[in-house]
Amino acid sequence: MADADRKPLLDRAAALLAGPFLLGRQALSLAFPSDRETPEAPALALQRIPVTPPEHAIKRRG
Amino acid sequence: MKTRLPDHGPVEAPRFWRTLEERVETPEARQAAHDEFLPGAVPAYDDVHGLPPQSGVSRRDFLGLVSAAAALAATVGCDRKGQGTVVPYTKRPVEVTPGVANYYASAFQEGRRVYPVLVKTREGRPIHLTGNDEHPGVRGKTSPRAMADVLRLYDPDRLRAPKAEGRTIGWTEAEARLHGSLQAAKATGKPVLLLSGAVASPTRKALLADLKAALPTLEHLAYEPAAGDAAEEAARVSYGQSVAIQPRLAKAKVILSLGADFLNGEDPETLAAWGAQRRLKSAKEPINRLWVLEGPLTLTGTNADHRYPVAPSRLAALAFTLARELAAKGLPLPAGANLSALPGGAPADVPTQAWANLVKDLQHAGRNAVVLCGAQMPAAAHQAAHLLNAMLGSEAMALSPAEPLATTRDLEAAVQGMAAGRYAAAIFWDVNPAFTYARATAWKDAVAKVPLRAWIGLMEDETAAQCQLVLPENHWLESWGDYATPGATVLQQPTVGTLYDTRQGEDVLLGLLKALGAAPAADYHAYLRARWEKAGLQGGTFEQALHDGLVKTDAKPTAPAFRGASVASAERAAKGAEGFELVLFPGFAPHDGRHANNSWLQETPDPISKMTWDNPVAVSVQDAQALGIQEGDFVTLTLEGTTLRLPAVIQPGQAKGVLALALGYGRTTGGVAKGVGANAYPFLGLDPTTANVRQGARLAKAGGRKELSRTQSHHRMEGRDIVRSLTMDEFLHHPQGHHHQPELVTLYEEQKFPDHKWGMVIDLAACVGCSACVVACQSENNVPVVGPEQVAKGREMHWIRIDRYYEGELENPKVVHQPMLCQHCDSAPCENVCPVNATNHSPDGLNQMAYNRCVGTRYCANNCPYKVRRFNFLEYTAYKTEPETLAYNPEVTVRPRGVMEKCSFCVQRINDVKIRAKGEGRSILDGEVTTACMAGCPSDAIVFGDLKDPESRIAQLVTATRAYRVLEEVGAKPAITYLADLKNPVEGGHHAN
Repeated sequence: MADADRKPLLDRAAALLAGPFLLGRQALSLAFPSDRETPEAPALALQRIPVTPPEHAIKRRG
Repeated sequence: MKTRLPDHGPVEAPRFWRTLEERVETPEARQAAHDEFLPGAVPAYDDVHGLPPQSGVSRRDFLGLVSAAAALAATVGCDRKGQGTVVPYTKRPVEVTPGVANYYASAFQEGRRVYPVLVKTREGRPIHLTGNDEHPGVRGKTSPRAMADVLRLYDPDRLRAPKAEGRTIGWTEAEARLHGSLQAAKATGKPVLLLSGAVASPTRKALLADLKAALPTLEHLAYEPAAGDAAEEAARVSYGQSVAIQPRLAKAKVILSLGADFLNGEDPETLAAWGAQRRLKSAKEPINRLWVLEGPLTLTGTNADHRYPVAPSRLAALAFTLARELAAKGLPLPAGANLSALPGGAPADVPTQAWANLVKDLQHAGRNAVVLCGAQMPAAAHQAAHLLNAMLGSEAMALSPAEPLATTRDLEAAVQGMAAGRYAAAIFWDVNPAFTYARATAWKDAVAKVPLRAWIGLMEDETAAQCQLVLPENHWLESWGDYATPGATVLQQPTVGTLYDTRQGEDVLLGLLKALGAAPAADYHAYLRARWEKAGLQGGTFEQALHDGLVKTDAKPTAPAFRGASVASAERAAKGAEGFELVLFPGFAPHDGRHANNSWLQETPDPISKMTWDNPVAVSVQDAQALGIQEGDFVTLTLEGTTLRLPAVIQPGQAKGVLALALGYGRTTGGVAKGVGANAYPFLGLDPTTANVRQGARLAKAGGRKELSRTQSHHRMEGRDIVRSLTMDEFLHHPQGHHHQPELVTLYEEQKFPDHKWGMVIDLAACVGCSACVVACQSENNVPVVGPEQVAKGREMHWIRIDRYYEGELENPKVVHQPMLCQHCDSAPCENVCPVNATNHSPDGLNQMAYNRCVGTRYCANNCPYKVRRFNFLEYTAYKTEPETLAYNPEVTVRPRGVMEKCSFCVQRINDVKIRAKGEGRSILDGEVTTACMAGCPSDAIVFGDLKDPESRIAQLVTATRAYRVLEEVGAKPAITYLADLKNPVEGGHHAN
């Protein structure tokens, strides 16, 4: 493809730099977890809504 | 994706068209029909000298990004965040077998209408609704809104515990406050107001009677803002009481609709009868004829054999004139009806010959003719319809007494009572008058003067915001109840335990009854059961009634006698006023506003305008031309001091001088509903005889435009021969018209189908365009909702759409509806171009998708001539959490971003039947496999089956003389056969007698 058809230089540079930067940051955060305390995720059981069968109902089939 | 438009040469105006742009063949419309995606649907790239678009990224850059992405994927793939755990039941409920669906019979109420339903549950979760197949009326069918209401069960906005003055409290405290206030009211003898929805349940009626006995000062009003005050008022005049009118179309040879939209999907029984009359195998079979006089174009109007645009205020005068002409031709005029003051001859609204034909048709059909009037039409038009039916002795409708409803006059009296400090307490149960009452400010001021205001409902609404005590109610799928319907008394039972700390409204009233000194049953289930065992079981058991969902009854209510109609009302109605006539009707999606928070319904295109997520004012073609209004232009609508700024749409077929605006939009509460559309309730009139038809409205351009989320211009098929419509004469003599069977030449090998070859037949004559199939498919196949901005870009995800085609003149076109879905072509153009073989053909004829193989090139969508493939441009599903995810069908994969999807012919249902048949050691029976759209279609327009079985219904239907395949000349060999639409006009049709 001709150079004239390429996207502007800044756009390309941003695309090429942003990927490796984000990748590096993610890799570092996995290798060296931050000391900052992160709020604990609520327990799984609390996020769930209990689904119970209906009382006294009679099913048609199943 | 924009490519150069090929040179078609001179283009003729199309016979069928969907948009105004198509009608006048603008260059933009031609380009839009040619392009696969709308402008903005696909991110724009460089368009190099008219060549196909290039990515704009060099090979070097691309490889760099791919390497970075691969490394990132590998790194992030090591992260265990977000993993869930699948665990078995430690104590399995007896009713639940993992992986096996349970079905419960229950019932849903909307206004006065009751829908007996069958609820499919998986692992305890209700996920899909169909009609109860045991019910003699609905026979397995239901309405789009009933089907969509399963989503309301899982609405995150549902109230989860009682509240007082905005703070969460327990039921003990809530009951103490409510009971204390009402005990004090009883002691002082001050009235208590109870405002509820329509009472269609005999047991609820008994409970209310018990409550009235315990609290004599109780004043109960049943309020349904969408029921139509005028119909109620007219019934009181014509019959001396409230009535329910049920069409019996099986007996109707001629139907005259005065603005009645009885084919709008709300009444499955009527739609089934309509479909049965229109699914003709030969032109010699009898067919009915539908005449429609109406202002705004309705679904019923689109299915008419003859339709004439008439202002609603003129309907009464026309109908009374019709009565006079029929009387002159010898039809008996009931005692008390004197029409001599009316002018004779054909009215100017309808062509003379057509008027003469209508009179002749009705006269010949006699008791096999019926006149139906729209609930929103003026009371005088209803009275005229009552008179005509009495004169005809119509057997094509059933009249029965109904529980009375409060009109605006009753509401106004209640407002004055509240403002005067008359009431000690007010309870609002499943109603939202703060939103639906026309004088919202007066209502708010009056309500504030009631010492205790309690609200019972599902989601906090505008009325709840005005109450101190807010009591959360069960969804109907968590509740008990019963309903009286023609032919059966229907039971409503819970299909899931309560998800939150809620109670059903009747249990709240029972608690109140106890507090007032009565000794009722322990809970509403016991109350209901005791009542049924005493009177309602007809020899069976309660368990059997719950299993069936009903007890059939033979008792026919006595039809109220006609008391005569006054011609004075016709004369009154005939007086016109300056300005526009504004017709206010319940919105297809929100109805009266109660479904406004349901995103499935909001995104289902309106069957006529194809609008989603909005209620623009509909303007006639002539008025739009006169005022210079374009589609989407903002206008100001003014009536009696109330002004709304809202977008306009131009509606072909709408009567000149008439504006139409849907109610139920413009809510101020609800995560989905808030801010969608404009609230039209302030325009409702306080005179119940003409509450929904208002004179003297003013319309002006307001400046600015809105991008409409309207689907009618999406997925166009370049003006090819897609839809066919025949008159009865054409059906008899030239069922294939000018179309010839194309000679297909192919390089591909013939597909082999060793066991089954699944196919579908869609009868356009039976299809009314109600969109029940769209909602059924959405519920069955986890079709995501994308929102108004995405719809405006043409990114809606529905697997089945209803294309609405106009034919003829802009001012009054004929209309054909065509459901369009994946055609499961034998030589599918989409399969050939998929670079990763994500879409391919199954041995039983299904064009199937492997979602985890799809890389999202969208080549398949580009190559599909039917425009039925849908691409997940954004992540529509992954961020959803409970309770929303509880509505998913576990048998269907939830698709992520970047994946193409489309109709699968409900492959999960096919496999379910296959496995069952194999387990039972038998072959699959004809009709055993039903797709969701087929099961949901109330007029039975869709038939699915095995084309390899020569005895199957579908194998016989594909050989019908009306049969054709869309774009057959392309050579794709679609598995869907359409049967051409039929119209039965006087010229070119059958005589209707």
